Amino acid sequence: MDFWSFVSNRRQQLLMDTYQHASAVFQCMVVASVIGIGIGVLTYRNDRAGRLAIATTVTIMTVPSYALLGLLIPVLGLGVPPTVTALVLYALLPIVRNAIVGLRGVDPTLVDAAKGIGMSRAAQILRVELPIAWPSILTGIRVATQMLMGIAAVAAYASGPGLGNEIFNGISSLGSANALNQVLAGTLGIVILALLFDFALILIGRLTTSRGIRG
Amino acid sequence: MTGGPEKHERLAERQDPGGEPAEQPIVSMLPSTPGRKVSTKKLVFTPIVIALALVGTYLWITNIPLDSIERNSLSGGAVRQALWQQIKLVVYSTFFVLVIAIPLGIALTRRPLRKAAPVATAIANLGQSIPSIGLLALLTFWLGIGPGTALVGMVAYAVLPVLSNTMVGLRAIDPSLVDAARGIGMSGWGVLRKVELPLAVPLILAGVRNALVLNVGTGTLAGFVSGGGLGTIITNGIVTQRTRVLIVGSVLAVALALLVDWLASLAELQMTPHGLEAG
Repeated sequence: MDFWSFVSNRRQQLLMDTYQHASAVFQCMVVASVIGIGIGVLTYRNDRAGRLAIATTVTIMTVPSYALLGLLIPVLGLGVPPTVTALVLYALLPIVRNAIVGLRGVDPTLVDAAKGIGMSRAAQILRVELPIAWPSILTGIRVATQMLMGIAAVAAYASGPGLGNEIFNGISSLGSANALNQVLAGTLGIVILALLFDFALILIGRLTTSRGIRG
Repeated sequence: MTGGPEKHERLAERQDPGGEPAEQPIVSMLPSTPGRKVSTKKLVFTPIVIALALVGTYLWITNIPLDSIERNSLSGGAVRQALWQQIKLVVYSTFFVLVIAIPLGIALTRRPLRKAAPVATAIANLGQSIPSIGLLALLTFWLGIGPGTALVGMVAYAVLPVLSNTMVGLRAIDPSLVDAARGIGMSGWGVLRKVELPLAVPLILAGVRNALVLNVGTGTLAGFVSGGGLGTIITNGIVTQRTRVLIVGSVLAVALALLVDWLASLAELQMTPHGLEAG
């Protein structure tokens, strides 16, 4: 069977896997962004805390994804829980680091001015500092999203959802007629999703970057 | 995305790699960020933690009764063999990565080939979005299964960061320095060897470190294409539902990754030219 007839025959299954892959990455990215920006906001003013946050996330990134899954499975079992945990953990480094760098890069006179016109600390962060740091944070989110696409594929071996299942099915049936098609469909699907997500994030960047700092 | 200010920051960082490692945003996984300088504390701390984790796991696994499946997967020879295969995969792939990526990066920043550089960067960026497991699986249809296939996949994957860092490192050099070197009568080769490469060392080393870490990671997937490595133990643990097997494989893989990263950080510390150290 050639690739295109394979794709049209298995349309249902492939669409399902693609949807689940996209949805897993998307949801994990939302969670990771909230946690990552939170960590950034809490640590950027303290030199040591910031360094600790970055060192910790760098260490997580050093760990091979398959090994991290291997350590999570005994605690969380197979399936969605270890997948989500691993994806969120891996997404943290670029987001935390870029949040800290972005927030530290805000001109202190602007924060002073915000304080001067009577803004509370929360308002300063929400209305002045985060909007200025946003392009940097969003870049971190883009990098993290790209990474998660590939890691989610590995997580399929721990019974996680998504296109990785196509790849692993292909591997386990090497030699059968559709093995190549399955691997190809899974891999191409992930590449396409990665490109689409990146494009969407660039678009979001255009729409949400404050007008004053738009380049 | 790589506008003026970011580039500026990169230059500042390059001239002061001992400064604040945090002051640099991640713009892409390529190029990887240089100068995550290790403090003395981390230098001592990391190997101690790794050693404790390994000793702890060893004591635990040798002091509990194992069933026959677990013994089969973990009997001394199997673990040692997987670890050795993994180390060999990482060493060989890193060697090939260095031999391919650094000369290629240099070539792509020389005048005759400079026009091809954007194409190479585009390919490298696109290549990053291919999942490593998909790449390995696709290669088996071309090269068959086995360690060779895993090696090819690992090299293809890890060439990207080193190539891109070499190019960025060489391009970020102040052109007036090159001019000055030419002005005192250095040949093109001399400038490259004595001025450009030493100045690009921090970024190249950061790329190599990233490649090493990537290689350990992709190496754990080699088992899926019958390439051996620690991934086989992890897979055994998942397939036979033996948590202890799973933990041994995973702990070893994590320890190896942290150890390799630690060694690379030592090399980074050793090999950065003195003129570029913290001022």
